[in-house]
Amino acid sequence: MTETNKKEVIICRCEDVSEVEIKQAIEEGFTTINAIKKRLRTGMGLCQGRTCQKLVARIIAQETGKSMEEILLPTTRPPVRPIIMGAFEGEDQ
Amino acid sequence: MRKTAEIVVIGGGVIGTSIAYYLAKEGRDVVILEKGDLASESSGACDKAILMQSKKPGIHLELALKSAEIYKTLADELEYPIEYANDGGMIVIETEEELAVMKQFVKKQREIGLKVDLLDGKQARSIQPALAKHIIGATHSDQDAQVNPIYATLGFATSAKRLGVEIYQQTEVTGIKVESGAITAVETNRGQISTRNIVNCTGAYAPFLGRMVGINIPIRPRRGQIVISEPMPKLIKGDMLSAKYIAAKHNPDIVEKAKDKATQMGIGLSLGQSDSGNLLIGASREFVGYDKSTTYDALSAIIQNAIRIIPALRNINMIRNFAGLRPSTTDGLPILGGTELNGYYIAAGHEGDGIALAPITGQLMTELICHGKSSIDLSLFHISRFGDQKLKR
Ligand SMILES: Cc1cc2nc3c(=O)[nH]c(=O)nc-3n(C[C@H](O)[C@H](O)[C@H](O)COP(=O)(O)OP(=O)(O)OC[C@H]3O[C@@H](n4cnc5c(N)ncnc54)[C@H](O)[C@@H]3O)c2cc1C
Ligand code: FES
Repeated sequence: MTETNKKEVIICRCEDVSEVEIKQAIEEGFTTINAIKKRLRTGMGLCQGRTCQKLVARIIAQETGKSMEEILLPTTRPPVRPIIMGAFEGEDQ
Repeated sequence: MRKTAEIVVIGGGVIGTSIAYYLAKEGRDVVILEKGDLASESSGACDKAILMQSKKPGIHLELALKSAEIYKTLADELEYPIEYANDGGMIVIETEEELAVMKQFVKKQREIGLKVDLLDGKQARSIQPALAKHIIGATHSDQDAQVNPIYATLGFATSAKRLGVEIYQQTEVTGIKVESGAITAVETNRGQISTRNIVNCTGAYAPFLGRMVGINIPIRPRRGQIVISEPMPKLIKGDMLSAKYIAAKHNPDIVEKAKDKATQMGIGLSLGQSDSGNLLIGASREFVGYDKSTTYDALSAIIQNAIRIIPALRNINMIRNFAGLRPSTTDGLPILGGTELNGYYIAAGHEGDGIALAPITGQLMTELICHGKSSIDLSLFHISRFGDQKLKR
C-alpha cells in the first residue's frame, strides 16, 4: 500500500477519521478511547461509536500493548440511540 | 516520571493548561499532573461560550473582556485550531418581569464598557429566525464569542509541551509534602516529584487538594447536564441564553425558593451550535455532590424548555447527553492567588465561566507567580475573602 492509500483507511465513518490520524494521536499521548474521542471526535458521530469504538480500541491495543478489557473500561459510555426531542413534550415540568 | 520541577500544575483542564502555557512562555520549568486525560472533567463537558453578557458587571466582566481580547488571536499564537468564532450572543426575554431585570443589567454592563443592545421581539427574530413567537425581546452583544473548549485545552497543552512542559496524564496527586512551612514534594500514584511551588487547578476537586495541606477551599461541584443533537445546517447563530438563566445564575434565592421542579434544578436555556453542526442544549445547575450522571427529569426539562424557545427543536434528534461539574463558589467568582502556605497557589472555582476566563487567568496567575504581583489586582479573588483558611478538624 502506498502512503496516500494508507490515509484512506477510515475507522470512524461518521466523523471521517483515518487509522493514520488515530495512530498519530496515540503517539501524541492520547491513549484512551475518551482521549482520542476528544482529540479526533471518533465516536461523536451519528452512530455514537457503534461502528468505530471497537476498532479504535483495537488500534490502541495494537499500539500500546494494553489489553482490550483495560481499554474498554466500564467508564467508556455505551452509545445511546438517537431520540426525537419532541418525544419529551407534554411531560410534567 | 521527572524527579523535580520548579512548578507543578495540578489539573489538566482549561485552567491548568493555560497557566502552564503562560508560565512556560516566561521560561519557567513546569509539569502538569492530570489524574485522567486532558479535558476529562468540566473542560470537556461544557458549552463553548465566551460570553460577556452573563458576567456580573464589575471586576468579573472586566476580566472577561480582557480574556475575550486574548482569544481573538489565540489560535494563531498557539498554532492550534481552537474553532474560535466571534458570532455574538443573545439573551432571550419571555416576560415583562425579565425585561425589567435585563434593562437594569444592560445599564450596568454598558457602564463597564460592554457593547450590548436591547432588541424587541421582531429585531431578535431577524437575527435568530428560529425563535418562538412569544419572545418579547432580547439583549444582544457582538462581543460574545465561541470556542471549542476541548480544543482550547488541547491547544494550550500542545503549545505548553512545545515550550518544554511535561504533561503526565493518568497521574493522580495523592499527597503534598510540607516541611517547616514550605512545600517540598508532590506525591502521586506514579511516584514523587520534588517541588517548592504548586498551582491547584483541579476545578471542582480543589477542596481535596486543599485538605492535603490543611487549607479549606470553599468550592462545591455544581452539576450541569447538557443535550447534544444530531448535526444539522445552521439553526442558531452564536450563543443563546434565556433571561431565566441569568436570573438563576445571579440570584440563587430564586432557585432555592422555587416550587416547580425545573427551576429547582436551575434549568435555564443555553444554546449553541458547534462547527460540526451539533446543537449544544443546556443546562441544569444542581448541587448533587460529585455525581456526574444525567437524569431523565433534568434532560426532559432542558429539552422542553428549549423547545418552548426554539420550536423547531421538536423535530430534531438528541444523540448524546452528559453532565459536567462546575467548580462553584458562593459569590460566583473564582479563587485566584496564593495562600497562607508559601508556594501553594490556587486557580479554581470558575463555575460556568472557566472557558471564557482561561486565557486571562493563565496570564495573571503567571504574573503573580513570577513577579509577586499582577497587572490587574487579584486581591478581590483571594481565598481570604472567605475568612479563615485553616481546615477545621
Ligand atoms: C454544562 C456546563 C456548561 C458550561 N458552559 C460553559 C461555557 O459556555 N463557557 C464557559 O466559559 N464555561 C462553561 N462551563 C464552565 C467550565 O466548564 C468550567 O468553568 C471550566 O471547565 C473549569 O476548568 P478547570 O480547568 O478549572 O476544571 P476542570 O476542567 O474540571 O479540570 C480540573 C482537572 O483536575 C483534575 N484533577 C482533579 N483532582 C486531581 C488530582 N488529585 N490529581 C491530578 N489531577 C486532578 C481533573 O481530572 C480535571 O481534569 C460550563 C460547565 C458545565 C458543566
Ligand atoms: S463511526 Fe465513529 S461515530 Fe459513527
